[in-house]
Amino acid sequence: MHSQPLSQVPGQTQVTPIVAFHEVSKWYGNVIGLNKLTIRILPGVTALLGPNGAGKSTFLQLATGQLFPSQGTVSVLGQSVWNNPSLNRFIGLCPEQDAFYEWMTGRDFLNTCARLGGMNRAEARDATSRTLQAVGMTRHQHRPIRGYSKGMRQRTKVAQALVHDPDVLFLDEPMAGTDPVARRDLMDIIQRLAGEGKSVVVSSHVLHEVQSLTPNIILLNHGRLLAEGHFRQIRDLIDTHPHHIVLICDHCRNLATRLVAWEDVEGIKVLPGDKGLMVETRSPDAFYARLPQLSLENGLLINEVYSDDDNLEAVFRYLVNK
Amino acid sequence: MSQETSGQPGVLFQLEAVTKTYGAIRALDDLSVTVPPGAVGLLGPNGSGKTTLIRTLLGLIPVDSGSGQILGMDFRRRQLDIRREIGFAPEDECLFPRTDGVGFVAYAGELVGMSSKSAMQRAHEVLDYVGLGEARYRKVESYSTGMKQRLKLASTIVHDPKLLILDEPTNGMDPAGREEILHLAHDLAHNKGINLLFSSHLLPDVEAVCDYIVVLGAGKLLTQGYIQQLKQVHNRCFEVRLKSDGSLFAQRLAEFGYSTQCHEDLLLVQIPEGGSQQVIWRTAAEQNLQIRYLRPQRSTLEQVFLNALEHG
Amino acid sequence: MPIFDQGYQHWSGRLSGHAWRWLAVTRHGVRAGLKNRFLRYLILAAWVPAIALVLVLCFWGLIERRSSLVSTLIQFLSFLQPGIITSPRDFRIDIWRLSYSYFLRSELWFSMIVIFLLGPGLISQDLRFNALPLYFSRPLRRIDYFLGKLGVIVAFLAMIMIVPSIVAYILGLAFSLDITIIRDTFGILLASIEYGLIVSLSAGLLMLALSALSRNSRYVALLWAAVWIVGGVVSLVLQSVDSEQRRYAYYSKITPPPVMARSDSPSRQERAAQMRAWRRARERANTEYRLGELEFSKRDWRPLVSYMADLSRIGQQLLATNETWEKLSRFEPDPQSRDRMLANYMGPEFPWYWSAAALIGLFGLSACILNRSVKSLDRLK
Repeated sequence: MHSQPLSQVPGQTQVTPIVAFHEVSKWYGNVIGLNKLTIRILPGVTALLGPNGAGKSTFLQLATGQLFPSQGTVSVLGQSVWNNPSLNRFIGLCPEQDAFYEWMTGRDFLNTCARLGGMNRAEARDATSRTLQAVGMTRHQHRPIRGYSKGMRQRTKVAQALVHDPDVLFLDEPMAGTDPVARRDLMDIIQRLAGEGKSVVVSSHVLHEVQSLTPNIILLNHGRLLAEGHFRQIRDLIDTHPHHIVLICDHCRNLATRLVAWEDVEGIKVLPGDKGLMVETRSPDAFYARLPQLSLENGLLINEVYSDDDNLEAVFRYLVNK
Repeated sequence: MSQETSGQPGVLFQLEAVTKTYGAIRALDDLSVTVPPGAVGLLGPNGSGKTTLIRTLLGLIPVDSGSGQILGMDFRRRQLDIRREIGFAPEDECLFPRTDGVGFVAYAGELVGMSSKSAMQRAHEVLDYVGLGEARYRKVESYSTGMKQRLKLASTIVHDPKLLILDEPTNGMDPAGREEILHLAHDLAHNKGINLLFSSHLLPDVEAVCDYIVVLGAGKLLTQGYIQQLKQVHNRCFEVRLKSDGSLFAQRLAEFGYSTQCHEDLLLVQIPEGGSQQVIWRTAAEQNLQIRYLRPQRSTLEQVFLNALEHG
Repeated sequence: MPIFDQGYQHWSGRLSGHAWRWLAVTRHGVRAGLKNRFLRYLILAAWVPAIALVLVLCFWGLIERRSSLVSTLIQFLSFLQPGIITSPRDFRIDIWRLSYSYFLRSELWFSMIVIFLLGPGLISQDLRFNALPLYFSRPLRRIDYFLGKLGVIVAFLAMIMIVPSIVAYILGLAFSLDITIIRDTFGILLASIEYGLIVSLSAGLLMLALSALSRNSRYVALLWAAVWIVGGVVSLVLQSVDSEQRRYAYYSKITPPPVMARSDSPSRQERAAQMRAWRRARERANTEYRLGELEFSKRDWRPLVSYMADLSRIGQQLLATNETWEKLSRFEPDPQSRDRMLANYMGPEFPWYWSAAALIGLFGLSACILNRSVKSLDRLK
């Protein structure tokens, strides 16, 4: 039976962050990894984003207790994570690199990981079967890992992170090099884990996948925290880039004359072929509020409306490239 | 630039009943496919035969049976000629060790048969194009991932090939680097008249760059076609996203005979015959709701791909 | 139009045919090799024997012409036999042969070190940085790749063995101003070029094979050191274990000077005479032992274990050095000093075709290793 971590002491109403960094800095010689990072990750699925060299790997290594911060404190589930092996029972890590015992079969490897995690033989056997089922590797469990494809290796890595049923899961580029089928399966696994109440921190470069997983992001750049929260809220806060809203309509130039009278509209561009308009505005809320009324007027039916840069890629680009 | 190649002008490459086995594994299973020129995406799960197909086209491996031609040349006979007309960027990280950027690209050109002067001149030209400025004088081991991929791309176009084959070019790159590579690939394929065969697992990348796709599975052809045609538009079905809760909205629409369905954070509205988006706007105006997204439903490339896998 | 397109331009040049593709690989490798500082210094050092060779040949040319420039130095050559000074032209071939033989022997050492510095990275770096797909996805066959890499080693060894041979020949010719030299000595030049090529190709292919075995060029360097140094040491040990026994047999035949009792009281001259006689007997035993060793070496297989010994034996055969020493020794007036000369200077006499077989065997093994290690891209992953 696992012992209860401190953060789940009943009676506490405030939501405890699963990962808390307080003014954490880490440098390697002269090279800075993280620079005075303070962040609290709440339960749920969170995405960790950033360009190369932003400090994501350093963050994950600090959070899993593999590195000691040069400054500041790191705590996971309310406890300090450095030199705390009993905490590892509640943490699962799926690292970016492959580090398997290549001669073992998938089942052997998972079994070994389960036993190393402290389970007895029967528990380990059950946990292994269950986890293999969860990641969809039951068919290949008796083949040596040497012969696995990239997708199978990724699934095995996620499996070894799950086999001891952790509360917090750290995934470093889990979908790198996998085909869409494996990717869909991994995303389903993550959604299911979130549904079961586990917390997942995913670090990835593939933004459109991250967007399907979760809207909560942490954006790092040059070792510093650039933004955190729901990415749509972040988008609303980006002042320097007005929102681009695309309207597809039949009589777009008429629509344009009406729109240009609105004060919050800063710019209107006619799309090639007179297909529609691209409107720039800094107050999307006010804009969207007035739009349905406008569409009902004669001849101004708006066939389509969508925002060009309401996605994670645009947010990333605006914040990182300034 | 090279000897005349015979063959139909409207065909990029063509395979007829090609089979290739490695021991017990059939990497290519009686595969027949004809692909038009342009920007072509090659999709397929792991183990579907994409790598084997590319190597067959390059004439690097002998096939057990079947025939085919690429750019008008028979890949069973004219292997070396084929590789002069094609630029291939392999998937894994690969470098000529201990050279600087220009030396790398110039050497790559010399290996295809360029004279050392042409290779050097051309190396600088393509390095300008891919955006490696002063970095070209540094040793290649010191490059970041994005720079290495751009360098690889430069080394494949140095001899001005007719067909560029890119195998997972955005593997492991950060979003900025990915955008650059995709932009370059798109530019080369659409504006500079170089044919492109783009093999990738990242479907949005393929969609951003290619017009035509070929989907393989277990060594067989599952589907092929122009992306715009494969992605069906459901004319009468619209995806709607509101700023706030839409249950009242959905109820109201249902009264008008517009059936609705919830899908993730979107509302799928089916417009009956004779109806239009007008009703949707009116309902939103009545209830003071903001419509943030209104577009006809289109299947995504991912759905096309997964459907093809299921039916294959 | 006034603004020019800065984007991608098409290229309309010609691509060369297939035959010279290996040259691109060689050029690239030579340029990379020359960047290595130690290698550059080593090449400079390797030219010292070449300079010595040039000096000897030019000097000999001047002696032949009895030029006044060297008349003062001739008296220092009194250690040579008088016949050589009086009629130098008779000994021309021999002197040239011996000079070339010493030159090539020292250059053999330098070659081994050059290959030690240059060779390990040739293929192992390509394996480590995964450059092979870049090579083979271009119109390059495996044979072009191997020839190109081999060409790098051949180019460097040619720089220290073949080119100096030719330059020394021309300069020696220039200093003797005698056209008949060509007729006499051209064979020597050909033999030394042949030898240079044999060393380059054999050692080059062996080094390429070793380089293809590992991704880490330090292990390859160790392997090369093992083949070269350890092979030599093992061969020497094997030989000396055997020969020590025989030497003992010879030496045991000499009776040591008898210990004289005080009462006999030999005079100092007597004792000195005895010591001298004993020393002479020991020298004679030594010479006999060495001649006996030469005889024995005709059947001895042990030197074959040493790679360098194999190569030297071939060189010795090509330049006919043993015959030259025999011929020179005939001019010795005194049979004992003749024997001593032979014993000191002659090389081992086991059949050269044994060495040739060993080298060919190594050549074949290297080719097999290269074939297995550097696979073309015809495989599943």
